[in-house]
Amino acid sequence: MSQTAQRSRYVLKRLLQAVPVVIAIVVINFFLLQLAEGDAVDVLAGEAGSATPEYMAQLRQKFGLDQPLLVQLGVYMKNVLSFDLGYSFRHDMPVAQLVLDRLMPTMLLMVSTITLAVGFGIVLGLIAASNLNNWRDTVISVFALISYATPLFWVGLMMIVVFSLKLHWFPTSGMENVAMFYEGWERVKDIAHHLVMPTLTLSLFYLALYTRLMRASMLEQADMDYVTTARAKGLTERRIVFVHILRNALLPVVTMAGVQVGSLIGGSVIVESVFAWPGLGMLAFEALFSRDLNLLLGIFLLSALLVVAINLVVDLLYSFLDPRIEVA
Amino acid sequence: MPETLVKKVCASVLATLALAVSSHAIAQNAGGTMVMIAQPEPPSLAPYLSTSGPIGLVAPKIYSGLLDYDLQLNPIGDLAESFDISEDGKTMTFNLRKGVTWHDGEPFTSADVQFSIMEVLKKFHPRGPNTFREVNSIDTPDELTAVFNLERPAPYMLRAFSAYESPIVPKHLLEGKDVREADLSNNPVGTGPFKFVEWKKGQYIRLDKNPDYWKKGYPLLDRIVARVIPDASTRTAAMESGEVHYGAFGAIPNVDVIRLRDFDEIGVTTDGYAMINPMALIEFDVTKPPFDSKAMRQAISLAVDRQFMIDNIWFGYGKPATSAMTSNYAPLGLYTPTANYPSTADVPAAIALLDAAGIKPDADGVRATAVIDLIPYGEEWRRVGEYLKQSLGDIGVKLELRYEDVPTWLKRVYADYDFSLNINYFYQLPDPVIGVQRHYGTDQIRQGTPFVNSARYSNARVDELLEAGAVEANADKRGAIYAELQNILADELPVVNLFEMEFLTVYSEKLKDHTVSAMGPYGSFDRAYLDK
Repeated sequence: MSQTAQRSRYVLKRLLQAVPVVIAIVVINFFLLQLAEGDAVDVLAGEAGSATPEYMAQLRQKFGLDQPLLVQLGVYMKNVLSFDLGYSFRHDMPVAQLVLDRLMPTMLLMVSTITLAVGFGIVLGLIAASNLNNWRDTVISVFALISYATPLFWVGLMMIVVFSLKLHWFPTSGMENVAMFYEGWERVKDIAHHLVMPTLTLSLFYLALYTRLMRASMLEQADMDYVTTARAKGLTERRIVFVHILRNALLPVVTMAGVQVGSLIGGSVIVESVFAWPGLGMLAFEALFSRDLNLLLGIFLLSALLVVAINLVVDLLYSFLDPRIEVA
Repeated sequence: MPETLVKKVCASVLATLALAVSSHAIAQNAGGTMVMIAQPEPPSLAPYLSTSGPIGLVAPKIYSGLLDYDLQLNPIGDLAESFDISEDGKTMTFNLRKGVTWHDGEPFTSADVQFSIMEVLKKFHPRGPNTFREVNSIDTPDELTAVFNLERPAPYMLRAFSAYESPIVPKHLLEGKDVREADLSNNPVGTGPFKFVEWKKGQYIRLDKNPDYWKKGYPLLDRIVARVIPDASTRTAAMESGEVHYGAFGAIPNVDVIRLRDFDEIGVTTDGYAMINPMALIEFDVTKPPFDSKAMRQAISLAVDRQFMIDNIWFGYGKPATSAMTSNYAPLGLYTPTANYPSTADVPAAIALLDAAGIKPDADGVRATAVIDLIPYGEEWRRVGEYLKQSLGDIGVKLELRYEDVPTWLKRVYADYDFSLNINYFYQLPDPVIGVQRHYGTDQIRQGTPFVNSARYSNARVDELLEAGAVEANADKRGAIYAELQNILADELPVVNLFEMEFLTVYSEKLKDHTVSAMGPYGSFDRAYLDK
């Protein structure tokens, strides 16, 4: 069998395996969310200022909240299997539309953060490892330690104070300048401008993580027998580091990045909140507090799918990085 | 003024006057985009279904009411040019403005008024069934006249015709549909100065100038954008950097306001909340010990230092409560200061009261223990709880604080009655029938309904007075009814009112004429402009 055919069979198999996993996630989430006190009707009535008991009963009936739990689950599963994420009663909109609207900003923030964090993490880890215990290593390690230990919301607010209020380099918040309503290229530039501070804030933590991981991984590989062999063959130090060690050292970093992409969706709530970035994390947060369970389940389902997809990509990446790892 | 006899308000005169006064502003200051803070994000844009604060900020720019109110709370014309009240107070006739159209181009007529009140507000609005309960029917003899036929006189109703409290909605878009599910709630179509354009959830709501607005030359702004910014510190930063022009209802926390108010380019005002009248208070469960004891509740009212809370938690903004009703009702002749409401603590009196009632301390000095629930609407309420824990400790009432998320808290207090004390705040609104009655009436003990009589307080005389006050057209008699009511409530204290809250509006000095009516932030902003 050719390698391409083998790969596509592998992808197909993995996707099929993911179906029961995703269903299990939906069911578990559904029951977990039932543990929260109060429901969407309580919140709606609370916000409205007041409401009659009849009105509230009517709303519960409309939302199907008066049905037994298993019936509610059944209805939800039936919808999901026909690719319908249900309706958000709070927003008066289909869940799919709400979630898709927020997906773009989330992906933007995620991709730029991962690129920045992994890219610079690898470079910094590499520099630190190849300058073991000299000043470069010390500077990088101290930087990593500090950024790892600093709370994100504080970093975000300090960025706003320094770069928005004092230097006027960047806007404080939002995804675009809403007073201007730019079009085309102007809009792209505007969004990029707004993206800088949230990305920097969110990447700082991950950057520290990848730097430390990369440094440790490089040092571990450097002690391996194959490195001694390579050196004995008379390869240049440069070739040993970049071709032999680097390739192997990257594996744990890739693994970690794969795991973290999933957590980035939820973990970015603080950054989204500080910079008023309209991402999925914030939407999930609000959905929880308004007991908008359909919406919350929709977001969970989407992130579960995203994690499955990214894990698959990571596994495929392994086989490219280290051809000894076979997909099957 | 409007309670008595036949009154005719020629609001168009006022409107013309306003036009004349600021006509220079039209020429020089038209245009521009105003950015305001809407936080939290509104759940919908259906002001006829919900009185939620953020909806109130945005919707009155799109929808209009029959009347608006000047800063002295006098009604002025909006969709109605003028109105008459019959001799017996049972017929109200509204003469509607000519040439008003909905944002989709359809003409506005008396049928819209009839439909809005009878089919929408009276049935679906949270306060509407109460506000319009005396309205039996509305006649529409012609397209520009709406005649309200009342069961009994309802003087309080005259203060409920603003765009915020009773928006007039388009009949042609709602008739025959399920009002609660109509597409209109996310795509509002009104008659107001601004048209709804787009809502990017989690980001902003965009409204553009309505070129066909009935008030010629207005609105002055080209566009209003209401931005969602979840983090309070970021809201402050956005105001400081000039990215937003306007934040009302404490969008900027008081702790930041005391810094921002020193800036030349930023203004702060407490004006514009006279129709809302927010009051901070403690609710009890009066059916269970230890707070079924009147002496206990009186002692608590005596032991709290209201001025201390205002000075230290709200940075000086607020006024100690002196009665169950806000002192802002004074111009209406409905306000009476009462006993048991000291502005600073009187601990010896409180202790003497408890001793006399036989509520004795145990060996550790504890007379009662209870959990106090705190309204989960911001950090300040946690401070209030911490303060109460300490101050009530002085009289031997030992408190434990509980702070939960909004749905859990609402369910606990209003659906399960699983609480002893609860910190909360209520809007008393422009009239006690609309804002105060829901707190004390026996018919307002409605399990599962938020923000009503959760104390489960019931007093036949109070019920009688509330009923009488609602239909009394004579201002003096009405004042006497509410005076008796306030004295009973001050003695029995089913609710201990703490302080009249002062919400803060923070604005860019470039933004002018934003607070020009009693509706303040809930106003239409048709006269607001950005100074260039």
